[in-house]
Amino acid sequence: MTGILRKLHLYMAVPAILLFSVFFVLPLAQGINISLTDWTGTRPAYNYVGFQNFIDFFQDDRAFHALKITLIFGLISPVLLNLFGLIYALLMDLKLVGRGLVRTIIYLPVIISPLIMGYIFLIMLNSNGGAIPSILNGVGLSSLYKDWLASPHDAIWVIIIVNLFQFVGGPMIIYLAGLQSVPSEVKEAASIDGANYFQTLWHVTMPLLIPAIRINVITNIIGSLGVFDVIVSLTNGGPGYWTESLSMYIYRVSFEGQTGYATAVGVILFVVVLIPVAGALSLLKKADYDS
Amino acid sequence: MKKVVLYIIMIVLALVSLFPFYILLFVALSPSTVSMSAGNFLMTEIDWSNLLHAWQRSKMEIALKNSLIITAGSLILIVLFSAGAGYVFARVNTWYNKFIFNFILFSLFIPGIINTVPLYSLLRKIGGINTHWAMICLIATGALPFSIFLYMNFIKKLSREIEESAIIDGCSEFGAFWRISFPLLLPITSTVIILNAIAAWNNYGQAVFFLQSQEMHTVPLAISRFVQSYGADYTMMGASALIGLIPVTIVYLSFQRFFVSGLSAGAVKG
Repeated sequence: MTGILRKLHLYMAVPAILLFSVFFVLPLAQGINISLTDWTGTRPAYNYVGFQNFIDFFQDDRAFHALKITLIFGLISPVLLNLFGLIYALLMDLKLVGRGLVRTIIYLPVIISPLIMGYIFLIMLNSNGGAIPSILNGVGLSSLYKDWLASPHDAIWVIIIVNLFQFVGGPMIIYLAGLQSVPSEVKEAASIDGANYFQTLWHVTMPLLIPAIRINVITNIIGSLGVFDVIVSLTNGGPGYWTESLSMYIYRVSFEGQTGYATAVGVILFVVVLIPVAGALSLLKKADYDS
Repeated sequence: MKKVVLYIIMIVLALVSLFPFYILLFVALSPSTVSMSAGNFLMTEIDWSNLLHAWQRSKMEIALKNSLIITAGSLILIVLFSAGAGYVFARVNTWYNKFIFNFILFSLFIPGIINTVPLYSLLRKIGGINTHWAMICLIATGALPFSIFLYMNFIKKLSREIEESAIIDGCSEFGAFWRISFPLLLPITSTVIILNAIAAWNNYGQAVFFLQSQEMHTVPLAISRFVQSYGADYTMMGASALIGLIPVTIVYLSFQRFFVSGLSAGAVKG
């Protein structure tokens, strides 16, 4: 019987493979080729410069800072997103009235463009009567407020928090989906055996959530290391270049006529994404075997 | 008592999530003479004409039309192509299918920026700059890896006996998929539609590159112009953002019923 299914439908994968080849694989091959050149993006002529673009990257302070910002954001954000996403999901998994509505509301910020969410927070943080300083003022905590976005060291935290606020609904919904697939008999059996909520959570639920953790960690790391829109609207990379991420840096230098170099930095970003994802995957694989 | 605390936490979370939407409403609908500088953010006056002005100044009808065409077009490609490919990868377990599937999935790690410049040259050669169809193809291509992954996982859990018996009863191979299996894919199709409708509707990074002509502006481009080219006009930005939120909110609310169950079967059961 498998014979029929083996022949059949193969052609149904063809449209996807075709589209993917033309609009992804082909330009990717060209892109890797361009990363080895000094192409300006406009002039037709270019020279091969070997790995010079990659060497240039590590000698450029601004590029190195962008790499640092990308790593700070790209490693802290996924941790926070997963932690809060899991806590929210556990709360929504309790049999509380109205949890469906609250779940829908918490996911709602995800549907706004990050660009606009950034502008909204810019308005809320405005020192001149924005909602956040006003609230702090109202509860007598105005001393806590400062112009975080103007401070080189604080601005990145504002970006991390705004991003967390906007996208926590994503991991939450995946953890909820994971919690749905934990059979209630298993949890009941644990509680009959005398386990409390947290013991059941740690020893019974968490191991079964590993597929959900895996998909959340991977997609969050990939998304966070490519962070772009929310920085554009909140700080536009400032003050100075303090909050410029690697994707912003690439975007800017490619418009400054350094297309070959910008593409090489793109290749570096790819390696930067790959290392933590590979690390997270092997850790989770280990956890999978242990349980 | 414990329950009361949990309910309070839940309500606070919901209010916090809604707060930026309230700020957006305030900015969008307050008369331009009212500002938050008084530290007062209770909406007392509502000026609906802001919406009209934003509509006219951002040429919103053009932006909405373009965004609708691009979003709907890419969703159709995404659903049909990913369901088809996911079906093949789930059902036919040959080494080359595994290889192609893993290769497509692996592409998720590759930053789009490497491709952007070569894509620009490619699209210029084939006349795709400032066109709906090229943008549809680009968005669909970007969405394929994750969507195929979701469909494949979901289809693996569907029984193949029904399809096989349909084929024995004289159904064509494609018919077995289209009439028997595809309707059963509703939960995962809803999930794929929600995730990708949001991404396509809000697509900014690629639209900036490939849709530079005024006539081809999409909703995010129209909104961002109020902040970038006219100096920051937050009233107009807010009002146009509010208009632009309506279609995607409708899509989200109509498909969210299956969201969790779709993800449950498509993403988190290995």
